[in-house]
Amino acid sequence: MQKKTILFSLNGEPREWSVYPNELLLNVLREQEFLTGTKYGCGIGECGACTVHINGEPILSCLTLAIACEGKEILTIEGLAREGKLDPVQIAFLDQTAFQCGFCTPDMILMTRALLNEIPNPTEEQVRDYLRGNLCRCTGYASIMRAALDASVLNAHRSVQSNEE
Amino acid sequence: MRDFDLLQPQHLSDALDALAQNDSAIRPLAGGTDMLVDIRAQRAKPDVLVSLQNISELRGITRENGTLKIGAATTIAEFLKHPELTKHDALRYAAYVFANPMIRNSATIGGNIGSASPAGDMLPPLLALDAHIELVSKNEARVMPLSDFFLGPRKTAKRANELITSIQLPVISYQSPVSSLQSPVSSAFYKLGLRQADAISLISVAVWIQRDGEKIRDVRIALGAVAPRPMRAIRAEEILRGEIFNEMNLKESARIASEECSPIDDLRASANYRRRMIAVYVRRMLEQAWSKTQ
Repeated sequence: MQKKTILFSLNGEPREWSVYPNELLLNVLREQEFLTGTKYGCGIGECGACTVHINGEPILSCLTLAIACEGKEILTIEGLAREGKLDPVQIAFLDQTAFQCGFCTPDMILMTRALLNEIPNPTEEQVRDYLRGNLCRCTGYASIMRAALDASVLNAHRSVQSNEE
Repeated sequence: MRDFDLLQPQHLSDALDALAQNDSAIRPLAGGTDMLVDIRAQRAKPDVLVSLQNISELRGITRENGTLKIGAATTIAEFLKHPELTKHDALRYAAYVFANPMIRNSATIGGNIGSASPAGDMLPPLLALDAHIELVSKNEARVMPLSDFFLGPRKTAKRANELITSIQLPVISYQSPVSSLQSPVSSAFYKLGLRQADAISLISVAVWIQRDGEKIRDVRIALGAVAPRPMRAIRAEEILRGEIFNEMNLKESARIASEECSPIDDLRASANYRRRMIAVYVRRMLEQAWSKTQ
């Protein structure tokens, strides 16, 4: 096995990694970049805890080879707040206290962000469908649902504000 | 995880060259949502993976000569977006209940077929739509009906030196004398799981139906997770072909479908329960598809 150097963007910053072919994106994020907001849950695509965005789309970093990220834009939970300002989804999760242990919070927030990028005003059913692959073992789904629906309202406000600025 | 080398060819011919040794330790890698899990569980032990991710020839959806050609690297997410794909209700619904949005963004149609799980979600709809599959090696290209491709659980007719390059669906053009909106064909799919989301199917049923007045001109019924491979319920189809769409014929077809399959008992459901559910859902899917035809 030979290491290969790849160039890509991580949370808006250019990065260069030297990786083995069998290294998973999840492990490189956690162990080389120390971005531990991306969680290792099941490792087989059942729990959603390792969700990150690649080129704006949510994917599972436990089922993605790091080497395949050449030239891509990767966003983790650490890159969601911009210039110290929380994303509306993060604010909504805080307002609704939509977490207990917090293990699923990064993936729930990143999924909600992806959902709002795709569907700005989702129905409850659409939220449920979109979050179907993300498990919360503290049984906090009710507050997560409220937060996701609140987030769409906050998000719309922010869009209006940034247009006015 | 096991050590392996990864090739990332840009062109199909380079990928086929890499596979030409016909060595089962050299495996193609599509979305990775099955393969990487299998490697970690030591069910797959490749020395070399040939990534298909950068090969543009495996992408794209085109219509040529009455055939809709779907590139094998088309993701499941595309089946919820592309207008040529979403018009097939059975395919669209199967993509909608397929795993979860993250997996759908990575997993490919060629990969779902190549994995050949008896419970593969996209497989019954493709069988019901009479899909053909294109297999290409360095020296040969062949097209076969998808129904001939599956040989058993995770066993297929694909040779180690071949790649699934496309899936082909027949496009029949319909000319209604009354209105261009009327369509005499429709399809439907249902997956029964132990919960609503992110479940492996206990059973799945896909049907395709072509209507001629009050009669069924043609019909195809495909069943998932009730045999060693996804299967067509040929005898259940024969009961209906050319016959009136009525209660008696539907019941008989559903009963025969439940006899034709050979489900097993496992931790998710008993064989008996699966047979009964096949009868229920074959009938419901026939009714659903028929109700959308005119």
